[in-house]
Amino acid sequence: MSMLRTTFRSAYWAIAGLSFGATVYAVFNCTPDEATMGTIQKIFYFHLPLAICTFLSCTVAFVGNIAYLWQRRTKWDDLSAAAANVAVLLCTGVLITGMIWGRCAWGQWWTWSPRLTFSFLLWLLYVVYLMVRTSVTSPQRRAIVSAVYGIVAFLDVPLVYLSASLLPDIHPGHVQLAPAMQLTLAFCFIPVTMLAAGLIAVRFNLNRRERLVSDAQQSEYAAALPFAAVGGAV
Amino acid sequence: MSAILALIDQPSSTAAPTAGHVEAQGLCKSIDERPVLHEITFGIAPGRYVALLGANGAGKSTLLKILSTLTGPTSGQLKLFGQPLTRDLASVRARIGLIGHQSMLYHDLSALENLEFFGRLYGVKNVAQRAMHLLETLGLAHRAHDCVKTFSRGMTQRVAIARALMHNPDLLLADEPFAGLDAPSVAAVEEVLAALHGAGKTIILANHDIGQSLRLAEQAIVLRRGRKVIAAPTRALDAADVLGEMQAL
Amino acid sequence: MIRSLQQIGLLTAKDLRIEARTRQTLGLVVVLGILIVTVLGLGLGSQHQTGSFGAPAVLWVAYLFAGVLCFEKTMGLERQDGALAGLLLSPIDRGVIFAGKLLSNLVLMLVVAAAVTPVGVLFFGFDLSPAPGGFAMVMGLGMLGFAAVGTLFSALVSSTRLQGGLLAMVVFPVILPLVIVSTQLLEKMFREGRPLEASSLAMLVAFDAIFLVASWLLFELILEP
Repeated sequence: MSMLRTTFRSAYWAIAGLSFGATVYAVFNCTPDEATMGTIQKIFYFHLPLAICTFLSCTVAFVGNIAYLWQRRTKWDDLSAAAANVAVLLCTGVLITGMIWGRCAWGQWWTWSPRLTFSFLLWLLYVVYLMVRTSVTSPQRRAIVSAVYGIVAFLDVPLVYLSASLLPDIHPGHVQLAPAMQLTLAFCFIPVTMLAAGLIAVRFNLNRRERLVSDAQQSEYAAALPFAAVGGAV
Repeated sequence: MSAILALIDQPSSTAAPTAGHVEAQGLCKSIDERPVLHEITFGIAPGRYVALLGANGAGKSTLLKILSTLTGPTSGQLKLFGQPLTRDLASVRARIGLIGHQSMLYHDLSALENLEFFGRLYGVKNVAQRAMHLLETLGLAHRAHDCVKTFSRGMTQRVAIARALMHNPDLLLADEPFAGLDAPSVAAVEEVLAALHGAGKTIILANHDIGQSLRLAEQAIVLRRGRKVIAAPTRALDAADVLGEMQAL
Repeated sequence: MIRSLQQIGLLTAKDLRIEARTRQTLGLVVVLGILIVTVLGLGLGSQHQTGSFGAPAVLWVAYLFAGVLCFEKTMGLERQDGALAGLLLSPIDRGVIFAGKLLSNLVLMLVVAAAVTPVGVLFFGFDLSPAPGGFAMVMGLGMLGFAAVGTLFSALVSSTRLQGGLLAMVVFPVILPLVIVSTQLLEKMFREGRPLEASSLAMLVAFDAIFLVASWLLFELILEP
């Protein structure tokens, strides 16, 4: 069974790696340069899939949070933590690609434009989620606190989007993509989504294993308690 | 004594046919994956005076918290007043009083203000009258308008007892109410509990002092490391035996 | 329903009575708010540099920090000697506890706003006369949403026994939409002189509704004696 799992994992990452390579090739050799912005526009092929996958990771975290509050099974807490970690990672990629794009296209590293502001606030929301998890020591309490915060944070995402859209957009313009570009964009989703899903799975397994180890330590401690219960305070 | 009985003659906030019946079936509780209570099963008939005994960390406080509905068991069933616990815990809570380790009082309010606040929360009629009556009975009428933070430990504990009795509960849970009290205060509290028992209330008293508990209560439940080891009438128990059971490996 | 309203009134009256007696929260929080406005006023230079339209943003900074401190303190009242357990034992709905705390926080925030706003308006030369009612409504709605989230999170955080900057850290990112919308609205109202549109106000009201309902529903799950 575990050999099957190892084979599957290797195959998965091999395919992800290959598709990433193929994507890069396609982006630089098979798609035309965009009229106004030139080569730098190609960063968009990674920026958009990263953004969509960030949002998908946030949704997975949200589902995990709701499921935890409903069932109180620790696996949901581990899933949310894994998904939030990956969301922060991907969102960092969104921010960096967005800033590079802004710098090369319009000469500024940062503006309070709707898109950049939204990416940054989303990043902040989930970084704080991770910080909250490290601030609580009791595992049960940590799960409840991060579940509640996670739910509020996710419900906040559309509000952030709406409020950011009120900000003055110095660089309007929706890029119209030629068919070849649309195809490449669609193809770019494959490696990015595989990366996101794979990382969530890896992180989830790590969280589960860490929890099993700490549970085992707890039961060892409890079993060694015979003399502590009498006359000693717990 | 008659003064104490008088405070119980007030109509309780909810009049119900089966008062003070507690039925626990296989209660388990884990806190942070650490088991605290394991398969606790017992039944307490209405009007019984039960002592809950056990060493530190045996799970007495946790069990009382579960019985008071402050927290839920990880598994197992609990029936209070003949009914299983459902979503609507309000009617059950109105009939339970808890005296805990902490006084559950607001230190910046006076004794009277505290009692009136909790009384109104429970929907008690003639709140001010009842509060003063309770304070008089517990010997605190002269300090009724002083802030609780100026009280000694014994006086705070007495106000806490008054708070637990404001709504005339059918089931009284007391978690080491004698801790830190001087002898006169201990005697006063023992008398209050005895009077409540005499009036048909169910009392579950968690206590360190084995001898005192066996003297006061009718039945005893002894916990050891989260498990029930003894459940018997107190007249059949010997303090030394109970201590031995508590300390056994 | 009447019963719940009475209970909410009881809880709020209790909090405000304690506050009136000890006076520890309000003084601290008002002075903090004024200090923040002062620091920003000095740091950002005279009115000519930032323009008077920096005032709403500066006021928000003051409200946020003062508010967070306020929420910590009102929730902290329940932590002394297990008072929260006393509330949880009683036959009141958990949502009632939330509403009571929210109302207490709102009252205190309004007092802070009443004290700090004139200072900010003065230091930044912000002319409120074109639309004082509009200003009050926009800021008021923003504060309502802030208080709802702040009350929920103050309960969440106080039970972890780890306060300090943690409450500010969790509240600020979540309520940034409120800050953005209210400052944008106020800029439109005062800089461009446009009247307050119903649709923009509706956005603030919708945000508040979402925060209020979510906080009220989630509050029950986090209370721990």
